[in-house]
Amino acid sequence: MTLLLQAVVNGLEMGFLYALVAVGLTIIWGLMEMINFAHGEFLMLGMFGAWWLSVTFGLDPLVSLVPVGLAMYALGVLIYQQLMRRVQRGDPFTQIFATIGLLFLLQNSAVAVFTSDYRYLSNTVLTRLSGSSLRLLGVSLGVPLLIGALLALGLFLALYLLIDRTEFGLALQATAEDREAAMLVGIRPQHMFAVAWGLGAALVAVAGAILSNFFAVFPQVGLSFTVLAYAIVALGGFGSILGTLLAALVVGVVQSVTTVYLPPAFKDAFVFASYILIGLLRPQGLFGRF
Amino acid sequence: MRRVPVVLSAVACLLFAAVLASRIAPAADVQEVLIGELLPLTGNFASLGQQYLWAGQTVEDIVNNDYPDLAVPLGPGKGFPGLGGATMKLVVRDDQSRGDLARTLAEQLITVNKVHWLNGEGTSGNTSIIQPVVEGFGIPMSCHPCASPTLTEKGLQWFWRTGPNDKTMVASVFAFLREWRERGGPSDLKTIALFTCDNLFCQDNRKIAAELAPKSGFEVVLDLTTKTGATTLASEVQRLQAAKPDVLFLVQYPPETSIFQGDAKRAGWMPKVIATSNGAYSDQTWLEAQKKTNGGAGWLGRDPTAIDLVHDRPSWKKVNEIYKKYSRGQNMGELAMREITGMLWMADTINRAKSVEPAALAKAAGETNMGPEQLIIDYKGVRFDKTHQNELASGVVTQVGWDGEKHTIWPWDLARRANFKVLYPSPGWQERDSKPKPAN
Repeated sequence: MTLLLQAVVNGLEMGFLYALVAVGLTIIWGLMEMINFAHGEFLMLGMFGAWWLSVTFGLDPLVSLVPVGLAMYALGVLIYQQLMRRVQRGDPFTQIFATIGLLFLLQNSAVAVFTSDYRYLSNTVLTRLSGSSLRLLGVSLGVPLLIGALLALGLFLALYLLIDRTEFGLALQATAEDREAAMLVGIRPQHMFAVAWGLGAALVAVAGAILSNFFAVFPQVGLSFTVLAYAIVALGGFGSILGTLLAALVVGVVQSVTTVYLPPAFKDAFVFASYILIGLLRPQGLFGRF
Repeated sequence: MRRVPVVLSAVACLLFAAVLASRIAPAADVQEVLIGELLPLTGNFASLGQQYLWAGQTVEDIVNNDYPDLAVPLGPGKGFPGLGGATMKLVVRDDQSRGDLARTLAEQLITVNKVHWLNGEGTSGNTSIIQPVVEGFGIPMSCHPCASPTLTEKGLQWFWRTGPNDKTMVASVFAFLREWRERGGPSDLKTIALFTCDNLFCQDNRKIAAELAPKSGFEVVLDLTTKTGATTLASEVQRLQAAKPDVLFLVQYPPETSIFQGDAKRAGWMPKVIATSNGAYSDQTWLEAQKKTNGGAGWLGRDPTAIDLVHDRPSWKKVNEIYKKYSRGQNMGELAMREITGMLWMADTINRAKSVEPAALAKAAGETNMGPEQLIIDYKGVRFDKTHQNELASGVVTQVGWDGEKHTIWPWDLARRANFKVLYPSPGWQERDSKPKPAN
């Protein structure tokens, strides 16, 4: 029983981090219905940003997530204005190929600038706490991951309030729902799309800054997370912030519990099986609307 | 109209003659020996590919420039003396760590770029994909750091490997564990868990370890294969912890190894011995990072050379200086040493062949008999068996000490020279945290 409980707790801790990785995609893909295959590369840039600020200026990733987030917001807006706004008018395939091109551009630029070496952060607040844990009902909660999870949860709640409870958020949702109608009430769709791209890039980069405490930093690191992020957004329901959170927790727990009882090869198979299962029962995802 | 067949026949004869002439061109006509370097410079295995590229550039530099005091093949003098001073030119292609692309690029290197030798791909999986292509065209090919035994067990005519394979190297680890027990080491090491990733390299290691473990007196209590690119290994660590193995045989790439370390630390779990084979243990950046955390202290693994003793060799130091010109100041790791050793053998073979004709190159390769004094690595020499595997390539076992460096602990004669006391049991996480860190 303790084994199962421990697996659930481990899964929940990872789930919160997955949620933060996926939520940027929820905004760009789920809410604005634009495909972004370079999402994982934004995460990678966030990780490299945190690593670079740490080794160059000694900034802890928990501090550098602010400049990293701001820089990536600007990059997200720039990418929308210079690339995605143009391809948005075309076929969805144009968007797919544009963002795949962006993926290779960003990944290979990182290889050129940083080389493909694996980089590690070791002297940060969270890495110094590694190994410390809280015990509750015989279950161990790793303190660094717990802090990471709480940070992710806090950011998530802030985003939820921004999207669901502010005029700006409502304008964003209105643009996603009906661009022409939104224009009639004075909303500038291009502005909203640019902000959505900025927010999406900033959020996943912030996730990257937090993850740099736990994972090796290298140019290809984004891929493993991108695949999970797509499954999470689809599972949670396109455009649903809370759905994304719940789906990420489900994915974390499914991965963790599956591996305790079955060969680890089933880990991701069960994640996608749960997506198929929920897709059969609720094609719009857990919290999605048609 | 009757002239057309005559003209066509004449053109065909001319083309045939040109092709024939190009294949049997005298050695003096070769200005450049073209070496196809097919490497994973981007994608999942890019960190390996870049080390191999630096190694290739180092060998190109050694061959083309005069290093009078460098006691390695083609160190003194410029170019290939056997080919009238022809220079070596690398034709580098990046396959993005993808087997399908590697196959296409191998074809292009042979048919379009007309390389005389193909070196690559650096990973066993992708090398096995391009082997049939190269075999079909009939030009020499080599992959020296590739360790999968299957690469030389297919009866291929055109493939050579100077580096040791996983059978040799994993066997070294188990020989150490077995003999250690007999030489007064711990007698309570009875169980082992295998913890490996899911690609050809890891699975080859797993199979060999699974075969050797019982023969070395170990009961395999858990055999876990994980997905390459995992984002968490917490549940796997839970299972390992529950299985309570005395020895953990871990074969994982650096990102997964660091995830494992984080999850094992969180769970407070440490087996008595962590034994590894290549993967993170061969990655210089992983090793350097461990110096900041003591994370690698006590880890033991196989290496193709006694890296702590090899530094004393003058040729190693000189080659390392050349390597650093290309590697942004990074020292040669053991992967780079394997690649440089292999490519210097290739250059020596081309020089001895006095030709770039495939048959002549194959003959010269088969006649190789290099002594250890020409090498920058601790092989007993280079001499090929009938499968084109270097039968003199050997393995050693090293352990990371509290100084963050690798120290040779097997074979025993080299271990005596290294004079290092084996760290046992593997230090717990608290001890790692409390001890001074070499990099701080």
